[in-house]
Amino acid sequence: MSHIHIDIADLSFAYEKGSQILDQLTVSFHEHDAVGIIGANGAGKSTFLKLIVGLETAQAGSIRIEEIPVEKKTLPKIREKIGYVFQDSETQLFMTTVREDVAFAPRNYSLPEDEVARRVAHALDLVHITHLADKPVHKLSGGEKKLASIATILSMTPDILLMDEPSIALDPRNRKNLISILNEFDHLKLIASHDLDLIWDTCNRVILMDQGRIAADGLTEEILRNEALLTAHGLELPLSLTNRMVTVQGPADKPPAKSPHRAP
Amino acid sequence: MSRISNAANSMAKLDELARQDTWLNRIHPLAKLIVTLLYLVLAVSWKPRQLTGILGMALYPFLLFEIGGLSFKGALYRLRIVLPVVCLVGILNPFFDREPVLTVFGITLTGGVLTMLSLMVKGILTVLASYLLIASTPVESVCGALSMLHIPGILVTEFLLICRYVSVLLDEADRMTQAYALRAPGQKGIARIAWGSMIGQLLLRSMDRAGALYQSMCMRGFQGEKPLFHMKRFRSCDLLYLVIWSAVLILLRVFPVLELVGRLFV
Repeated sequence: MSHIHIDIADLSFAYEKGSQILDQLTVSFHEHDAVGIIGANGAGKSTFLKLIVGLETAQAGSIRIEEIPVEKKTLPKIREKIGYVFQDSETQLFMTTVREDVAFAPRNYSLPEDEVARRVAHALDLVHITHLADKPVHKLSGGEKKLASIATILSMTPDILLMDEPSIALDPRNRKNLISILNEFDHLKLIASHDLDLIWDTCNRVILMDQGRIAADGLTEEILRNEALLTAHGLELPLSLTNRMVTVQGPADKPPAKSPHRAP
Repeated sequence: MSRISNAANSMAKLDELARQDTWLNRIHPLAKLIVTLLYLVLAVSWKPRQLTGILGMALYPFLLFEIGGLSFKGALYRLRIVLPVVCLVGILNPFFDREPVLTVFGITLTGGVLTMLSLMVKGILTVLASYLLIASTPVESVCGALSMLHIPGILVTEFLLICRYVSVLLDEADRMTQAYALRAPGQKGIARIAWGSMIGQLLLRSMDRAGALYQSMCMRGFQGEKPLFHMKRFRSCDLLYLVIWSAVLILLRVFPVLELVGRLFV
């Protein structure tokens, strides 16, 4: 069995000349890593994931997945190994019904139809949307679309899972469900998210990005508890780690309202 | 609801119609596609003045609407923009061909009128036949049937992507007009000053979304060459449908049925 790993060396990328999105990134990921990629808006998290799957092409540096370099001719092979959940699930779904969409990848990989059906049923069951199987995609709610887009990737049974803001649009119950799905996925997974609580619950390693560079790379415990580090890079402690107690004040607890026109 | 929402909804409704579980929907897409193509060829092959022959070809769409459980009224409503355009074809013929060729109930019809009518009828019938195919077969299945007919993969993919991107374009246009309307209360339509930027934005945004959709397809094994469609087995009832309708259509083409029926009463 191959050892799943990603090696990235001196990776640089810019959409336009002069505005560097990623700047000489060097990092490695290994088989059982669950890596949270965090950073403020525009830090380069999504671009980083897109480069790994070859949706963008780096101007400099290299990415190797299981020793295979990410380049045009190797993309089909690489994409068989990687499941990528897009930030915007509207663009992830393109078939007419959920079932058809979830079956798209297994069919493209020429699996026999009974295996396709088995994988579709399993993926839908994992994300608890079996009841939506025959629903037209355009009729799904935002959260349902997100779950369906996750199912489309799970049906590929990928070796590596890449997720860009997976908890967006999910209600608390489905978010909890997503956390358990992610925790059950035992291979390498990279999750780019602003939802630091999700990262806390699912990742054992965190990479903090800022202005296209890696500002910190370490254990989740170390990085997400480091308030000074997070604040310095435009983030805040996860809500579950804050000691602030939010209490609802009743009318009797409220301080008397101050008059805007105070007497001198 | 805006016109754009209406258009997007109509497309979605048509797709839902195609996914219903009726006997017509269950017929193999290849059988329906071949019958439709045969019908189009035979209907178009009538000479311009053979109006009675062309009218005989109406049997196929009207009978199929009836036995297939599809609403004819619904079809006319959905085709309300296309049908008048089809009727415009040949509208100038009466001005060019004024030779009297027929007298019906004391009214003399010129060659131009006859050819105009036959062109109109041909147009309407072929549009209705195409509608019958689309309303009873999802677009992926039509593409699958085209692949089975060995139509080049690139053409089938183009067809599939056009169908996908039309809805993407409509979605984007709908979002933009909604956002505009919310910030321009009481204003009817879109102010002329905003047209340029709206159209430019629409183009850029739909290109972005279409690009993202394509990326999503690529991420799941699609390589832009050979689209794969799951096609069910071709059953004996599908073959029966194909054979019976092909025979009926060829008979309708060979024998001018309406003329023969008319002679019975003369």
